[in-house]
Amino acid sequence: MDFDDTPEEAQYRTRVREYLKDHRDDLVSGGRYGDATKQDMQHSQAVLFDGGFMGIGWPKEFGGQGGTPIQQAIVSQESARAGVAGPINSIGMGMCGPTVIAHGSAEQHERYLKRLLRADDVWCQLFSEPASGSDLAALRTSAVREADGNWRINGQKVWTTGAQFSDYGIVLTRTDPSMPKHKGLTMFVVDMHAPGVTVRPLKQMSGRSQFNEVYFDDVIIDDAERLGEVNDGWRVALTTLMNERVNVGGGGSDLGIGLDVLAGELKRRMGDLPESRKVLYKQDLGKVVVDTLATRYTGFRVLSKISKGEAPGPEASAGKLSGTRAAKNGADLGVRMQGNDGLFASATDGADFQQTQAQLPGLAIAGGTNEVLRNIIGERVLGLPPDMRNDKAKPFSEGVRS
Amino acid sequence: MNFDLDEGQLDFASMAKKFFSANAGPGAARALLDGGTDYKPGLKQIAELGFYGITVPESAGGIGQSMLDLAVVAEQAGHALASPSMVTAARAAVLLDGQDELLAALVDGSKRFAVVDGAAPSIDAAYADTFLAMDGTSLVVGSGSVQAGEAIDPTRGLATVILEETTVLREDAVALWDRARLAALIAMAAEDLGMASAALEMGVDYANTREVFGRKIGSYQAVKHPLVDVYVGVEQLRSLVWWAAWTFDNDPAEAQLAASAAKAQAAQVGELATETLIQVHGGIGFTWEHDAHLFWRRAKVDRLLLGDATEHFDRVAELTLEAV
Repeated sequence: MDFDDTPEEAQYRTRVREYLKDHRDDLVSGGRYGDATKQDMQHSQAVLFDGGFMGIGWPKEFGGQGGTPIQQAIVSQESARAGVAGPINSIGMGMCGPTVIAHGSAEQHERYLKRLLRADDVWCQLFSEPASGSDLAALRTSAVREADGNWRINGQKVWTTGAQFSDYGIVLTRTDPSMPKHKGLTMFVVDMHAPGVTVRPLKQMSGRSQFNEVYFDDVIIDDAERLGEVNDGWRVALTTLMNERVNVGGGGSDLGIGLDVLAGELKRRMGDLPESRKVLYKQDLGKVVVDTLATRYTGFRVLSKISKGEAPGPEASAGKLSGTRAAKNGADLGVRMQGNDGLFASATDGADFQQTQAQLPGLAIAGGTNEVLRNIIGERVLGLPPDMRNDKAKPFSEGVRS
Repeated sequence: MNFDLDEGQLDFASMAKKFFSANAGPGAARALLDGGTDYKPGLKQIAELGFYGITVPESAGGIGQSMLDLAVVAEQAGHALASPSMVTAARAAVLLDGQDELLAALVDGSKRFAVVDGAAPSIDAAYADTFLAMDGTSLVVGSGSVQAGEAIDPTRGLATVILEETTVLREDAVALWDRARLAALIAMAAEDLGMASAALEMGVDYANTREVFGRKIGSYQAVKHPLVDVYVGVEQLRSLVWWAAWTFDNDPAEAQLAASAAKAQAAQVGELATETLIQVHGGIGFTWEHDAHLFWRRAKVDRLLLGDATEHFDRVAELTLEAV
């Protein structure tokens, strides 16, 4: 066991830190959904790509660096430290790209992957639908084969993060409703600028618009854009979801408000607080810190396993369960410390706790609701029996539809 | 970074698991609760395996290993509700630094040590013959008379101690005492990790066996999800215990934060795990006859020993505020 950088890791860290410093003016600051334009965000990612800091874990043949998960973590840590925004194509790199690598053709690899890493193209993941969120395999967007062998897509996706600025997406469709629900699915790469694709941003409870409804009206997709075999889309989707698991809350990075920001806020206000409040807020801070540290170090264990070549198992989902709780409690403490300002959408001094408070309910739902994750851990890790289901065996077309 | 046990530690853990499950366990804990006096595995057996000298230097008869090595053994001791505690071994080894004769007696079990925190009931004191305590700023060793109350968890050997004849081992010992206390926090959090893991395993086994309304209760989310919450808490505790044990030897500046975080998490997860264990079992779970309450007793006592969760959350907050 060793938490210190190895000499190679320390050297790598220095290289990252210096590169970020030297190119600071080209890099977008702050959160991924700040005020920066798509163009600025793309440029920012391209600069990081040119430094060799995008696609770190990807094989070199696909434009990646063939590096280690630890190097990836170092880049994330140093970017956060320098206040550099996360890359615009984080979903593309975290979920779409690995799916194209695993199931795409050589032509698709050539066409897409390097451009994705440079953010020449931005990608999104088109899975959820109005009637299929947790029950993803209940999706209804149809792909029907045309006489020329290509596919005609009709239907609606929703909760699609980043679709409003995406150039491509991976879309999961139903190709055979006469088969059981998990069997008749097929995955494609779709051009988001193709005729018939309509993107409508959804306004969230926080007031921001990070995700979208996406409509497909007679969109034609070339058969060469299929990922995997016809009707084997569920297996392809599992590749994506496995990667998503590690991307959200699984790699030792904190969610929500940073502990230093939270502690700084309490320290600043401490002098004005009555003794009874001080005691309570310190207890709350202590709890948030312990939960955050516990989540962070559990993430480091997952990271250590991945760097030894073990696949991220379902236990990686534990980090999202505890991470979303710690983040919620942290934001809650932050808002309560605002006193009367806590009643308004933003504090007079510009503190961002209210915005985080309004964002966090979404995080416990996105990327697998916390309840679905509990089912997965309960059944796959603890070996508890699955819930009774009556939808798995019969043809989708005969099933109960919500 | 490499945050995992090495092969030696995994071997050590598996050897400890075999030993403690064969020589301690709920049966022995129940016998104590029913009035027995046979503490299992007992100091002699534990000492024979060298477990009381894990962190004692080889020059003093120990095996000179790290706090992390001690923690992986302590986890297995906690899993089997063993006594005496690895907490005493961890703490005394620090306090007796440089006292080779006394260290040798700790390692071979020829003296039965307990570490006394003033008037608070002390772990392993009920069957100890040699006490370590602070007198002002000096560390003292000596004899004492013990008074054990009616124990909630008799496996802890809790008793209050009135020191009798003592000699000063070291003056200006406050820093040493504080460091020994960190060792104790980490060892206790490790034992609680084992206790909570055992409770989780029992709960999962039962949920996989018991059927109501025509199916196994573990298939109901109302049963499954609480067990998952225990699992998440246990894995978080494991991370904090390993991290705290590592900092103890390698990053002393972080050790206080890590040890307090581990102890606070241990107090909470111990309770969550054992209360969930009882709830999952339903009616049988709160009978005297079922083993669930033996683990619950350990949780209810350990959460208050060496500072409760409130104290350690406060400490964590203080340290975090100091750092910004």
